[in-house]
Amino acid sequence: MDGIHDLGGMEGFGPIKTDSPPFTYDWERRVWAIVQNTRGGLEGGTIDWWRHTIECMEPSTYLSVSYFEKWCLNQMTQFIDCGTFTLEEVVSGETTRLQDPPAPSGVNGALARLRANEVFFDGPNETPPAFSEGDVVRTLAHVAASHTRLPRYAREKTGRILAYRGAHMFPDTSAKGAHEPRHLYTVDFSACDLWGDGADPKDTVTLDLWEDYLVRP
Amino acid sequence: MPSFDSKKAAEIQRHLHSHLPSDPALRVKTLESLVVERGLVHPDDLDAWTELYANEVGPMRGAQVIARAWSDSAFHDLLMRDAAAAVREMGFQGHASGHLRAVENTPTQHNLVVCTLCSCYPFSVLGMSPAWYKSSAYRARAVREPRKVLSEFGVELAGNVAVRVWDSTAELRYLVVPERPAGTEDWSAEKLATIVTRDSMIGTDRDLKVA
Repeated sequence: MDGIHDLGGMEGFGPIKTDSPPFTYDWERRVWAIVQNTRGGLEGGTIDWWRHTIECMEPSTYLSVSYFEKWCLNQMTQFIDCGTFTLEEVVSGETTRLQDPPAPSGVNGALARLRANEVFFDGPNETPPAFSEGDVVRTLAHVAASHTRLPRYAREKTGRILAYRGAHMFPDTSAKGAHEPRHLYTVDFSACDLWGDGADPKDTVTLDLWEDYLVRP
Repeated sequence: MPSFDSKKAAEIQRHLHSHLPSDPALRVKTLESLVVERGLVHPDDLDAWTELYANEVGPMRGAQVIARAWSDSAFHDLLMRDAAAAVREMGFQGHASGHLRAVENTPTQHNLVVCTLCSCYPFSVLGMSPAWYKSSAYRARAVREPRKVLSEFGVELAGNVAVRVWDSTAELRYLVVPERPAGTEDWSAEKLATIVTRDSMIGTDRDLKVA
């Protein structure tokens, strides 16, 4: 979708607060911990559906709330969407369906959960990849109105395959609950092709793009 | 089960933002009390998670990976061939490290990492990302004017240095391997790790300082 989240190349932003720490407030640490430890309440979801529901925020809200506040709103949205909580429960902050939590497992338990979270997104695909290293490719001009990982700034551009990365879950359908490994490539674009002659001709921008986004020029 | 319905998600997002108290601390408190009352997580486990990220999971992990790669050529080869396996060997695998790739700076090549579409980051190797990495300004500008962005971080590149920006658009995550500074030839890996900055592993720092 042509969403507000697709920020690459948009002008008017800056300067960058280069010394900003990872967390400023305690509630930011807290929401990070909540999201990472309550996935059990989102059974059947995918990482791309999680990303997509953030993209579904009102553009003005997306730009005005901070990263961790987006996480809070999004985790609430996810819970409501899959029926773990009702909208009324979240807005009132009260639930009647009480359950005991699992016994706490301490920092060692947290470390074990972190390690177990080494998730792999690749899978089998019997069709041979259409492109190989060094091939020149062109990206699509138009994308689906739902989730996609072809950013606006890299559409209808010509690049070169830097590497084939195997078949990885296709985000466009993963955001709809499917698990379809499709061929993924790292594609290199000249900065001048993306941004015009003002860019340094030595510079390149590299994206990881699925075969579905690419055609032969 | 999720609906996978964009319109429904947009409606929920709109409703929440207009009906919840505007203070984000209160919003998070509401979320926490709900998940705890529902038994989805024990509050002590939330403390444990924050403690883990405060003490054990952070840029010092990445720094140890880089320092070992500088000191041990077999490990360097493994890191460049299969960075996920290299960090697993050090016990640093986890959130967003499954498809990790290392990209190496050279005297004529500088690497810079961004995620323009969200804020993808190799958490289990570098810890929580700095706020600027998640900012609209960095996400918008890093791909378009990387040299200006680098200059704001105090990095001025020599005339013959090319910049490659890696936009993390899939589940691959990127770790920049900075150049080992001169004058550190006889340093131990432990000492080397102390000079590797977080920003140098993202690419917003380049010439590491030998204290």
